Amino acid sequence: MAIPISQMGTVAGYVLKKRFTGVKQYPLVLMLEPLFRCSLACAGCGKVQYPPHILKKQLTPEECFAAVEECGAPMVSIPGGEPLLHPQIVEIVNGLVARKKYIYLCTNALELKKRLPEFTPSKYLTFSVHLDGQREHHDFSVCREGTYDIAVEGIQEAVRRGFRVTTNATFFDGTDPNSVRAFFDEVMSMGVEGVVLSPGYSYEKAPDQNRFLGRARVRRLFRAILSNRKPEWKFNMSPLFLEFLMGKRNYECTPWGMPAYNIFGWQKPCYLLQEGYASSYKELLETTKWEDYGVASGNPKCANCMVSCGYETTAVIDGFGSMKGFVAMVRGTFSKYRDLSALKLLNEALPGTHAPLIRIEQTERAPEETTV
Amino acid sequence: MTAEVQKYTLEQVEALELAPGTEHENLEGWVPALATAEDLRQALEKALDYRGDVTLTLKSGERIEAYIFDCHNGSGLADSWVQYFTPSAPEKRKVGYAEIARLEFTGKDRAAGKHWEDWVKKYNERKAAGEKNIGLAPEALE
Repeated sequence: MAIPISQMGTVAGYVLKKRFTGVKQYPLVLMLEPLFRCSLACAGCGKVQYPPHILKKQLTPEECFAAVEECGAPMVSIPGGEPLLHPQIVEIVNGLVARKKYIYLCTNALELKKRLPEFTPSKYLTFSVHLDGQREHHDFSVCREGTYDIAVEGIQEAVRRGFRVTTNATFFDGTDPNSVRAFFDEVMSMGVEGVVLSPGYSYEKAPDQNRFLGRARVRRLFRAILSNRKPEWKFNMSPLFLEFLMGKRNYECTPWGMPAYNIFGWQKPCYLLQEGYASSYKELLETTKWEDYGVASGNPKCANCMVSCGYETTAVIDGFGSMKGFVAMVRGTFSKYRDLSALKLLNEALPGTHAPLIRIEQTERAPEETTV
Repeated sequence: MTAEVQKYTLEQVEALELAPGTEHENLEGWVPALATAEDLRQALEKALDYRGDVTLTLKSGERIEAYIFDCHNGSGLADSWVQYFTPSAPEKRKVGYAEIARLEFTGKDRAAGKHWEDWVKKYNERKAAGEKNIGLAPEALE
């Protein structure tokens, strides 16, 4: 099990309390983006495409704490941008630890080794290091040679110092499932607590809009990757969400479950789409037309989304909200998902090259024109 | 969604192999004609999606360089507004649609030239030239 019992207990208690008090819409993880500045320039990234005066802005620690306290989520993910570029990131992290929030500080780890002495190991603090695959794949993905080795040094030093460490990877079209499985072997041997993974999603602001996996391909890819698991592999995610990625479950999106807060305010409707901002989490809940989002809405912007910020909340609520879900979650935690047809998918996968990463294909079916 | 939009059926969504993303227009330098309220609304929607600054000229004559990050569409111009940051002030600001006389996409499109294909091309050229430690660096913050 990759996630510590204390964290699971906190989340389970939180979900059950909301259930028993009849609260239908609540946050599970706050996506706190304290800045958009980054030390990498990944081609196609949709999170850092801003003019310099926007990239220079950052949330103050007080603004971060107010957002965390207002929404009340038990977990806080700190992506960006690169959070370690924030001059007060240590103060922000310490303040959140003091509030007993489980923090995932997402970093490209270019500065991690150097900055580690400023942080104190805690069960509440996890460094979630961006690694998109094996060395060559990761370096190519983040558009800079040498980054994998620097990140691995940071991971190893963080593990040595007693920090909780996970890796997080995003997979796009052309991903070689065999390489991803070899990557799991590599990162688990570094002593990380677990792996976090996600299919890529088309951020509206991203320069590239043609490398994103559709649902059918996501399921096939993740079935190939996540079936026939090795016992050493640990995933810092809900097993039910992983089953969703593998096509074993159908979930609807819970867009308010992982709200995003940044220099613009509370992002509507979710971490991925930018359709305006609210000045408070309450206003976000009350003024967003939630029925316009999620796969069931037919909204084309949601059509390819199987991303954790929308669906992992659903999986977690399912897992902790009913006995049936809980049993499935426990079973999923220990299952190896033996699947001969998934092995066949692996055997069919071509050796990893960069060529498929840029292949552009047309979808076979056109969307219908519908009036709503 | 209040207008006519492209919608998928669930069957189509589940069968998608590759997902079409948002089509980005080349808006840098564009000055939309704002003959009607609908022209203004549509142009401001594009400004919201634009990854650079725009210049707003108000009916008072004031010119504002702005990064627009929020549009509130009310029932008419009087209760609609945009929210923005300017390069020179730390706080968020708002201006009503009814006050806007002209909109220009004056700022650099910060995503232009940053496509995956651009990187692959640069990488292959630099690799062929024998370069080591190939990489892209963030733009200077000026």
